[in-house]
Amino acid sequence: MSDGSYLFRGCLIPTRLPYLESSSKYVIDRMGIDAKDLPGASCCVEPIGLKTIAEDTWMVTVARMLAIAERDGRDVLTLCNGCYLSFVEAMHVLRTKERADKVNEVLDQIGLEYKGDVKVRHILDLVHSLGEERLRALVSTDVSMVHVAPHTGCHVLRPSGIGLVEIPYAPRMLADVATWSGARVDHSEEWPECCGGGVSSIDETLSSKMLERVTGRYKGSGANCILTPCPFCFSQFDLRQKEGLPVLYISELLAMAMGAPANVVGLKYHRIRTNF
Amino acid sequence: MRKSRIGADDKPMRFEDERFLMCHQCSQCSGVCPSERQGGINPREIVMRYAAGIADPSDGVLWLCTMCHSCAERCQLDVRPAELISMLRQEGAEKGSCPRSFQEEAKLFMRTGLSFPSTGLTKKIRKEMGLPELVQDARTVEDIALIASKTRLGRVRLE
Repeated sequence: MSDGSYLFRGCLIPTRLPYLESSSKYVIDRMGIDAKDLPGASCCVEPIGLKTIAEDTWMVTVARMLAIAERDGRDVLTLCNGCYLSFVEAMHVLRTKERADKVNEVLDQIGLEYKGDVKVRHILDLVHSLGEERLRALVSTDVSMVHVAPHTGCHVLRPSGIGLVEIPYAPRMLADVATWSGARVDHSEEWPECCGGGVSSIDETLSSKMLERVTGRYKGSGANCILTPCPFCFSQFDLRQKEGLPVLYISELLAMAMGAPANVVGLKYHRIRTNF
Repeated sequence: MRKSRIGADDKPMRFEDERFLMCHQCSQCSGVCPSERQGGINPREIVMRYAAGIADPSDGVLWLCTMCHSCAERCQLDVRPAELISMLRQEGAEKGSCPRSFQEEAKLFMRTGLSFPSTGLTKKIRKEMGLPELVQDARTVEDIALIASKTRLGRVRLE
Protein backbone atom coordinates (compact mmCIF):
# COMPACT_ATOMS: atom_id res chain seq x y z
CA MET A 1 0.00 0.00 0.00
CA SER A 2 1.05 3.58 -0.64
CA ASP A 3 0.12 6.40 1.73
CA GLY A 4 -3.14 4.66 2.47
CA SER A 5 -6.32 4.12 0.52
CA TYR A 6 -9.39 5.92 -0.61
CA LEU A 7 -12.57 4.00 0.01
CA PHE A 8 -14.77 3.97 -3.08
CA ARG A 9 -18.27 3.06 -1.89
CA GLY A 10 -19.90 3.04 -5.33
CA CYS A 11 -23.61 3.84 -5.76
CA LEU A 12 -25.61 0.83 -4.63
CA ILE A 13 -24.09 0.50 -1.16
CA PRO A 14 -24.43 4.11 0.09
CA THR A 15 -27.91 4.61 -1.42
CA ARG A 16 -29.69 1.28 -0.97
CA LEU A 17 -27.52 -0.83 1.34
CA PRO A 18 -25.98 1.60 3.86
CA TYR A 19 -25.64 -1.24 6.37
CA LEU A 20 -22.98 -2.79 4.14
CA GLU A 21 -21.11 0.53 4.28
CA SER A 22 -21.42 0.57 8.05
CA SER A 23 -20.06 -2.95 8.54
CA SER A 24 -17.33 -2.42 5.92
CA LYS A 25 -16.08 0.71 7.63
CA TYR A 26 -16.04 -1.14 10.94
CA VAL A 27 -13.98 -4.01 9.48
CA ILE A 28 -11.57 -1.70 7.63
CA ASP A 29 -11.07 0.26 10.82
CA ARG A 30 -10.47 -2.88 12.89
CA MET A 31 -7.89 -4.01 10.35
CA GLY A 32 -6.04 -0.75 10.94
CA ILE A 33 -6.40 0.40 7.32
CA ASP A 34 -6.38 4.12 6.62
CA ALA A 35 -9.22 4.52 4.07
CA LYS A 36 -11.23 7.73 3.98
CA ASP A 37 -13.89 8.27 1.32
CA LEU A 38 -12.61 9.03 -2.18
CA PRO A 39 -13.14 12.75 -2.80
CA GLY A 40 -15.06 13.51 -6.00
CA ALA A 41 -16.47 9.99 -6.24
CA SER A 42 -19.05 9.33 -8.97
CA CYS A 43 -20.62 6.13 -10.31
CA CYS A 44 -17.97 3.82 -11.81
CA VAL A 45 -20.17 3.54 -14.95
CA GLU A 46 -21.28 0.07 -13.94
CA PRO A 47 -20.16 -2.69 -16.32
CA ILE A 48 -23.55 -4.31 -16.97
CA GLY A 49 -25.64 -1.51 -18.47
CA LEU A 50 -24.12 1.95 -18.51
CA LYS A 51 -20.65 0.92 -19.67
CA THR A 52 -22.09 -1.11 -22.54
CA ILE A 53 -23.87 1.92 -24.01
CA ALA A 54 -20.87 4.24 -23.77
CA GLU A 55 -17.45 2.68 -23.36
CA ASP A 56 -15.45 5.87 -23.72
CA THR A 57 -17.61 7.52 -21.02
CA TRP A 58 -16.66 4.63 -18.74
CA MET A 59 -12.95 4.98 -19.49
CA VAL A 60 -12.82 8.71 -18.84
CA THR A 61 -15.03 8.54 -15.73
CA VAL A 62 -12.90 5.83 -14.11
CA ALA A 63 -9.67 7.54 -15.19
CA ARG A 64 -10.89 10.73 -13.50
CA MET A 65 -11.22 8.96 -10.14
CA LEU A 66 -7.97 7.04 -10.57
CA ALA A 67 -6.25 10.34 -11.34
CA ILE A 68 -7.60 11.85 -8.11
CA ALA A 69 -6.26 8.89 -6.08
CA GLU A 70 -2.97 9.03 -7.98
CA ARG A 71 -2.60 12.77 -7.34
CA ASP A 72 -3.07 12.17 -3.61
CA GLY A 73 -0.76 9.14 -3.51
CA ARG A 74 -3.47 6.73 -2.41
CA ASP A 75 -4.81 3.38 -3.60
CA VAL A 76 -8.49 2.74 -4.33
CA LEU A 77 -10.43 0.26 -2.23
CA THR A 78 -13.77 -0.94 -3.65
CA LEU A 79 -16.64 -2.75 -1.94
CA CYS A 80 -18.40 -3.93 -5.09
CA ASN A 81 -17.59 -6.44 -7.82
CA GLY A 82 -18.98 -4.13 -10.50
CA CYS A 83 -16.91 -1.16 -9.35
CA TYR A 84 -13.86 -3.39 -9.06
CA LEU A 85 -14.19 -4.67 -12.65
CA SER A 86 -14.82 -1.14 -13.90
CA PHE A 87 -11.61 0.13 -12.33
CA VAL A 88 -9.38 -2.86 -13.11
CA GLU A 89 -10.54 -3.18 -16.72
CA ALA A 90 -10.14 0.55 -17.32
CA MET A 91 -6.55 0.36 -16.05
CA HIS A 92 -6.01 -2.62 -18.34
CA VAL A 93 -7.26 -0.90 -21.51
CA LEU A 94 -5.56 2.39 -20.61
CA ARG A 95 -2.14 0.76 -20.75
CA THR A 96 -2.36 1.55 -24.46
CA LYS A 97 -0.87 5.01 -24.89
CA GLU A 98 -3.27 6.02 -27.65
CA ARG A 99 -6.28 5.41 -25.39
CA ALA A 100 -4.65 7.03 -22.36
CA ASP A 101 -3.89 10.12 -24.47
CA LYS A 102 -7.52 10.39 -25.61
CA VAL A 103 -8.74 10.06 -22.03
CA ASN A 104 -6.24 12.66 -20.84
CA GLU A 105 -7.44 15.13 -23.48
CA VAL A 106 -10.77 15.21 -21.62
CA LEU A 107 -9.24 15.04 -18.14
CA ASP A 108 -7.02 17.98 -18.98
CA GLN A 109 -10.15 20.15 -19.15
CA ILE A 110 -10.92 19.35 -15.52
CA GLY A 111 -7.36 19.75 -14.33
CA LEU A 112 -6.44 16.08 -13.96
CA GLU A 113 -4.06 13.60 -15.56
CA TYR A 114 -4.11 9.82 -15.50
CA LYS A 115 -0.65 8.21 -15.44
CA GLY A 116 -1.47 4.65 -14.39
CA ASP A 117 0.49 4.66 -11.17
CA VAL A 118 -2.28 3.55 -8.82
CA LYS A 119 -3.50 0.32 -7.30
CA VAL A 120 -7.09 -0.89 -7.05
CA ARG A 121 -8.25 -3.47 -4.53
CA HIS A 122 -11.49 -5.20 -3.63
CA ILE A 123 -12.37 -5.70 0.03
CA LEU A 124 -12.21 -9.49 -0.57
CA ASP A 125 -8.62 -9.09 -1.73
CA LEU A 126 -7.74 -6.78 1.15
CA VAL A 127 -9.11 -9.13 3.81
CA HIS A 128 -7.64 -12.26 2.21
CA SER A 129 -4.21 -10.67 1.92
CA LEU A 130 -4.23 -10.15 5.67
CA GLY A 131 -3.74 -13.91 5.94
CA GLU A 132 -5.19 -16.51 8.27
CA GLU A 133 -3.17 -15.73 11.36
CA ARG A 134 -3.79 -11.98 11.41
CA LEU A 135 -7.46 -12.34 10.58
CA ARG A 136 -8.03 -14.98 13.28
CA ALA A 137 -6.33 -12.66 15.76
CA LEU A 138 -9.09 -10.09 15.13
CA VAL A 139 -11.91 -12.59 15.72
CA SER A 140 -13.52 -12.34 19.12
CA THR A 141 -17.02 -13.74 18.62
CA ASP A 142 -18.02 -17.31 17.76
CA VAL A 143 -19.78 -17.45 14.36
CA SER A 144 -19.57 -21.24 13.95
CA MET A 145 -23.38 -21.35 13.65
CA VAL A 146 -23.05 -19.53 10.31
CA HIS A 147 -22.87 -22.17 7.57
CA VAL A 148 -22.12 -20.46 4.30
CA ALA A 149 -22.45 -21.18 0.60
CA PRO A 150 -19.81 -18.83 -0.85
CA HIS A 151 -20.90 -16.91 -3.95
CA THR A 152 -17.90 -14.94 -5.23
CA GLY A 153 -19.79 -13.24 -8.07
CA CYS A 154 -18.62 -12.76 -11.63
CA HIS A 155 -16.73 -9.52 -11.64
CA VAL A 156 -13.84 -10.32 -9.32
CA LEU A 157 -12.97 -13.36 -11.46
CA ARG A 158 -14.14 -12.85 -15.06
CA PRO A 159 -12.92 -11.96 -17.64
CA SER A 160 -9.51 -13.42 -16.84
CA GLY A 161 -6.32 -11.91 -18.21
CA ILE A 162 -7.03 -8.29 -17.26
CA GLY A 163 -5.66 -8.36 -13.72
CA LEU A 164 -8.65 -9.34 -11.57
CA VAL A 165 -7.61 -10.80 -8.24
CA GLU A 166 -9.55 -14.08 -8.22
CA ILE A 167 -9.31 -17.07 -10.59
CA PRO A 168 -12.22 -17.97 -12.91
CA TYR A 169 -12.40 -21.64 -11.95
CA ALA A 170 -12.72 -22.94 -8.38
CA PRO A 171 -12.16 -19.62 -6.57
CA ARG A 172 -11.27 -20.09 -2.91
CA MET A 173 -10.54 -16.65 -1.44
CA LEU A 174 -14.07 -16.11 -0.13
CA ALA A 175 -14.25 -19.61 1.40
CA ASP A 176 -10.85 -18.99 3.04
CA VAL A 177 -12.05 -15.74 4.57
CA ALA A 178 -15.21 -17.44 5.85
CA THR A 179 -13.20 -20.27 7.41
CA TRP A 180 -10.70 -17.91 9.02
CA SER A 181 -13.54 -15.87 10.52
CA GLY A 182 -14.83 -19.04 12.19
CA ALA A 183 -17.83 -19.80 9.98
CA ARG A 184 -18.42 -23.21 8.40
CA VAL A 185 -18.25 -23.57 4.61
CA ASP A 186 -20.88 -25.98 3.30
CA HIS A 187 -20.55 -25.53 -0.45
CA SER A 188 -17.64 -25.39 -2.85
CA GLU A 189 -17.67 -23.11 -5.89
CA GLU A 190 -16.33 -24.78 -9.03
CA TRP A 191 -17.66 -22.90 -12.05
CA PRO A 192 -18.96 -19.68 -10.47
CA GLU A 193 -22.39 -18.88 -11.83
CA CYS A 194 -24.09 -15.57 -12.51
CA CYS A 195 -26.90 -14.58 -10.10
CA GLY A 196 -28.95 -13.11 -12.97
CA GLY A 197 -28.96 -9.62 -11.44
CA GLY A 198 -27.68 -8.05 -14.67
CA VAL A 199 -30.99 -8.54 -16.48
CA SER A 200 -33.34 -7.95 -13.54
CA SER A 201 -34.44 -4.59 -14.92
CA ILE A 202 -34.79 -5.94 -18.48
CA ASP A 203 -36.51 -9.33 -18.13
CA GLU A 204 -37.58 -10.26 -14.63
CA THR A 205 -38.64 -13.80 -15.54
CA LEU A 206 -35.29 -14.59 -17.15
CA SER A 207 -33.46 -13.05 -14.20
CA SER A 208 -35.46 -15.12 -11.71
CA LYS A 209 -34.81 -18.37 -13.59
CA MET A 210 -31.07 -17.69 -13.52
CA LEU A 211 -31.28 -16.88 -9.83
CA GLU A 212 -33.22 -20.05 -8.99
CA ARG A 213 -30.62 -22.25 -10.64
CA VAL A 214 -27.92 -20.79 -8.41
CA THR A 215 -29.84 -20.61 -5.13
CA GLY A 216 -31.31 -24.11 -5.61
CA ARG A 217 -27.80 -25.52 -5.39
CA TYR A 218 -26.90 -23.47 -2.36
CA LYS A 219 -30.11 -24.49 -0.61
CA GLY A 220 -29.35 -28.15 -1.31
CA SER A 221 -25.84 -27.87 0.18
CA GLY A 222 -27.14 -27.53 3.74
CA ALA A 223 -25.81 -23.99 4.14
CA ASN A 224 -27.94 -21.62 6.21
CA CYS A 225 -26.86 -18.54 4.29
CA ILE A 226 -25.18 -17.31 1.12
CA LEU A 227 -21.98 -15.31 1.54
CA THR A 228 -21.00 -12.80 -1.14
CA PRO A 229 -18.55 -9.92 -1.60
CA CYS A 230 -20.83 -8.25 -4.20
CA PRO A 231 -23.67 -5.84 -3.31
CA PHE A 232 -25.44 -6.50 -6.64
CA CYS A 233 -25.51 -10.25 -5.98
CA PHE A 234 -26.53 -9.43 -2.40
CA SER A 235 -29.52 -7.42 -3.65
CA GLN A 236 -30.55 -10.07 -6.14
CA PHE A 237 -30.43 -12.77 -3.42
CA ASP A 238 -32.12 -10.69 -0.74
CA LEU A 239 -34.87 -9.11 -2.85
CA ARG A 240 -35.81 -11.65 -5.49
CA GLN A 241 -35.09 -15.09 -4.15
CA LYS A 242 -37.86 -17.69 -3.70
CA GLU A 243 -35.89 -20.24 -1.65
CA GLY A 244 -35.63 -17.84 1.28
CA LEU A 245 -31.96 -18.54 2.00
CA PRO A 246 -30.53 -15.52 3.92
CA VAL A 247 -27.54 -13.71 2.47
CA LEU A 248 -24.57 -12.07 4.15
CA TYR A 249 -22.19 -9.58 2.58
CA ILE A 250 -18.52 -10.29 3.39
CA SER A 251 -18.15 -7.38 5.83
CA GLU A 252 -21.27 -8.42 7.75
CA LEU A 253 -19.82 -11.83 8.58
CA LEU A 254 -16.45 -10.29 9.44
CA ALA A 255 -17.97 -7.56 11.60
CA MET A 256 -20.01 -10.18 13.48
CA ALA A 257 -16.88 -12.26 14.04
CA MET A 258 -14.97 -9.19 15.20
CA GLY A 259 -17.65 -8.52 17.79
CA ALA A 260 -19.39 -5.53 16.21
CA PRO A 261 -22.61 -4.41 17.93
CA ALA A 262 -25.88 -5.24 16.16
CA ASN A 263 -26.53 -1.63 15.13
CA VAL A 264 -23.24 -1.55 13.21
CA VAL A 265 -23.97 -4.76 11.29
CA GLY A 266 -27.63 -3.98 10.58
CA LEU A 267 -28.95 -7.50 9.90
CA LYS A 268 -32.42 -6.17 10.74
CA TYR A 269 -32.52 -4.38 7.37
CA HIS A 270 -32.33 -7.63 5.39
CA ARG A 271 -35.54 -8.72 3.66
CA ILE A 272 -34.75 -12.37 4.31
CA ARG A 273 -34.12 -12.61 8.04
CA THR A 274 -31.05 -14.50 9.21
CA ASN A 275 -31.80 -17.41 11.51
CA PHE A 276 -28.61 -17.82 13.51
CA MET B 1 -9.23 -8.89 -43.89
CA ARG B 2 -12.94 -8.52 -44.07
CA LYS B 3 -14.48 -5.18 -43.36
CA SER B 4 -17.40 -5.28 -41.00
CA ARG B 5 -20.53 -3.34 -41.76
CA ILE B 6 -21.16 -2.39 -38.19
CA GLY B 7 -19.20 0.36 -36.56
CA ALA B 8 -17.08 0.87 -39.67
CA ASP B 9 -17.33 4.66 -39.52
CA ASP B 10 -17.24 5.24 -35.80
CA LYS B 11 -15.50 2.28 -34.29
CA PRO B 12 -15.33 2.20 -30.49
CA MET B 13 -11.67 2.43 -29.60
CA ARG B 14 -11.08 -0.77 -27.68
CA PHE B 15 -12.20 -3.34 -30.23
CA GLU B 16 -10.41 -5.11 -32.98
CA ASP B 17 -13.18 -6.31 -35.24
CA GLU B 18 -11.14 -9.12 -36.74
CA ARG B 19 -11.19 -11.00 -33.46
CA PHE B 20 -14.94 -11.48 -33.72
CA LEU B 21 -14.48 -13.07 -37.14
CA MET B 22 -12.25 -15.86 -35.78
CA CYS B 23 -15.23 -17.81 -34.37
CA HIS B 24 -15.51 -21.49 -35.36
CA GLN B 25 -19.10 -21.74 -34.08
CA CYS B 26 -18.08 -24.44 -31.57
CA SER B 27 -20.88 -23.46 -29.12
CA GLN B 28 -18.74 -23.47 -25.97
CA CYS B 29 -19.97 -19.95 -25.26
CA SER B 30 -23.67 -20.70 -25.63
CA GLY B 31 -23.22 -23.92 -23.66
CA VAL B 32 -21.99 -22.00 -20.64
CA CYS B 33 -24.15 -18.88 -21.06
CA PRO B 34 -26.58 -18.60 -18.12
CA SER B 35 -28.97 -16.46 -20.16
CA GLU B 36 -29.06 -18.84 -23.14
CA ARG B 37 -29.81 -21.73 -20.79
CA GLN B 38 -33.03 -19.99 -19.73
CA GLY B 39 -34.07 -18.90 -23.22
CA GLY B 40 -32.33 -15.48 -23.25
CA ILE B 41 -29.49 -14.57 -25.63
CA ASN B 42 -27.39 -17.02 -27.67
CA PRO B 43 -23.85 -15.59 -27.86
CA ARG B 44 -22.75 -17.99 -30.59
CA GLU B 45 -25.56 -16.79 -32.81
CA ILE B 46 -24.69 -13.12 -32.22
CA VAL B 47 -21.09 -13.79 -33.29
CA MET B 48 -22.28 -15.75 -36.35
CA ARG B 49 -24.57 -12.91 -37.42
CA TYR B 50 -21.80 -10.38 -36.97
CA ALA B 51 -19.34 -12.43 -39.03
CA ALA B 52 -21.98 -12.76 -41.75
CA GLY B 53 -22.56 -8.99 -41.73
CA ILE B 54 -26.19 -9.30 -40.65
CA ALA B 55 -25.96 -8.40 -36.95
CA ASP B 56 -28.74 -6.04 -35.93
CA PRO B 57 -27.71 -3.50 -33.25
CA SER B 58 -31.37 -2.69 -32.60
CA ASP B 59 -32.20 -6.32 -31.71
CA GLY B 60 -33.73 -6.33 -28.21
CA VAL B 61 -32.14 -9.70 -27.44
CA LEU B 62 -28.75 -7.97 -27.03
CA TRP B 63 -29.96 -6.63 -23.67
CA LEU B 64 -30.55 -10.14 -22.27
CA CYS B 65 -26.82 -10.59 -21.57
CA THR B 66 -25.76 -10.07 -17.93
CA MET B 67 -22.13 -9.34 -18.89
CA CYS B 68 -20.98 -12.25 -16.71
CA HIS B 69 -18.21 -13.00 -19.26
CA SER B 70 -18.58 -16.78 -18.90
CA CYS B 71 -18.53 -16.94 -22.72
CA ALA B 72 -15.10 -15.31 -22.89
CA GLU B 73 -13.76 -17.73 -20.31
CA ARG B 74 -14.74 -20.81 -22.30
CA CYS B 75 -13.79 -19.55 -25.78
CA GLN B 76 -10.68 -21.30 -27.11
CA LEU B 77 -10.15 -18.61 -29.75
CA ASP B 78 -10.45 -15.55 -27.51
CA VAL B 79 -13.44 -14.19 -29.43
CA ARG B 80 -15.08 -12.77 -26.28
CA PRO B 81 -18.74 -12.61 -27.37
CA ALA B 82 -19.80 -10.30 -24.49
CA GLU B 83 -17.51 -7.61 -25.87
CA LEU B 84 -19.19 -7.92 -29.26
CA ILE B 85 -22.59 -7.66 -27.56
CA SER B 86 -21.39 -4.53 -25.78
CA MET B 87 -20.18 -3.04 -29.05
CA LEU B 88 -23.50 -3.75 -30.77
CA ARG B 89 -25.40 -2.24 -27.83
CA GLN B 90 -23.45 0.99 -28.27
CA GLU B 91 -24.46 1.14 -31.92
CA GLY B 92 -28.07 0.45 -31.02
CA ALA B 93 -28.18 2.92 -28.14
CA GLU B 94 -27.21 5.80 -30.40
CA LYS B 95 -30.13 4.95 -32.66
CA GLY B 96 -32.66 4.67 -29.83
CA SER B 97 -32.76 0.99 -28.83
CA CYS B 98 -31.46 1.39 -25.27
CA PRO B 99 -33.98 -0.12 -22.80
CA ARG B 100 -35.91 2.30 -20.62
CA SER B 101 -34.23 1.20 -17.37
CA PHE B 102 -30.74 1.90 -18.71
CA GLN B 103 -31.95 5.20 -20.19
CA GLU B 104 -33.16 6.26 -16.77
CA GLU B 105 -29.85 5.21 -15.28
CA ALA B 106 -27.97 7.21 -17.92
CA LYS B 107 -30.07 10.32 -17.22
CA LEU B 108 -29.54 10.02 -13.48
CA PHE B 109 -25.81 9.54 -13.96
CA MET B 110 -25.53 12.60 -16.19
CA ARG B 111 -27.58 14.68 -13.75
CA THR B 112 -26.09 13.54 -10.42
CA GLY B 113 -22.98 11.48 -11.15
CA LEU B 114 -24.61 8.45 -9.51
CA SER B 115 -26.54 5.49 -10.94
CA PHE B 116 -28.88 4.97 -8.02
CA PRO B 117 -31.02 7.67 -6.42
CA SER B 118 -30.82 8.57 -2.77
CA THR B 119 -34.31 8.06 -1.33
CA GLY B 120 -36.17 8.65 1.90
CA LEU B 121 -35.24 5.13 2.98
CA THR B 122 -31.56 5.91 2.27
CA LYS B 123 -31.76 8.90 4.60
CA LYS B 124 -33.62 6.93 7.27
CA ILE B 125 -31.18 3.99 7.40
CA ARG B 126 -28.10 6.22 7.19
CA LYS B 127 -29.39 8.30 10.08
CA GLU B 128 -30.27 5.25 12.17
CA MET B 129 -26.80 3.82 11.63
CA GLY B 130 -25.00 7.07 12.36
CA LEU B 131 -23.68 7.40 8.79
CA PRO B 132 -23.24 10.89 7.31
CA GLU B 133 -25.88 12.16 4.90
CA LEU B 134 -25.10 11.64 1.22
CA VAL B 135 -24.09 14.85 -0.49
CA GLN B 136 -22.83 14.90 -4.06
CA ASP B 137 -20.44 17.79 -4.49
CA ALA B 138 -21.18 20.30 -7.26
CA ARG B 139 -17.73 19.97 -8.82
CA THR B 140 -18.19 16.23 -9.39
CA VAL B 141 -21.58 16.79 -11.01
CA GLU B 142 -20.01 19.39 -13.32
CA ASP B 143 -17.12 17.06 -14.20
CA ILE B 144 -19.47 14.20 -15.08
CA ALA B 145 -21.63 16.48 -17.24
CA LEU B 146 -18.51 17.57 -19.11
CA ILE B 147 -17.28 14.00 -19.56
CA ALA B 148 -20.70 12.90 -20.88
CA SER B 149 -20.76 15.78 -23.36
CA LYS B 150 -17.34 14.78 -24.73
CA THR B 151 -18.08 11.04 -24.97
CA ARG B 152 -20.65 8.58 -26.30
CA LEU B 153 -23.07 8.82 -23.39
CA GLY B 154 -23.92 12.33 -24.53
CA ARG B 155 -24.95 10.85 -27.88
CA VAL B 156 -27.19 8.04 -26.61
CA ARG B 157 -30.71 8.69 -27.83
CA LEU B 158 -32.92 9.13 -24.79
CA GLU B 159 -36.71 9.35 -24.72
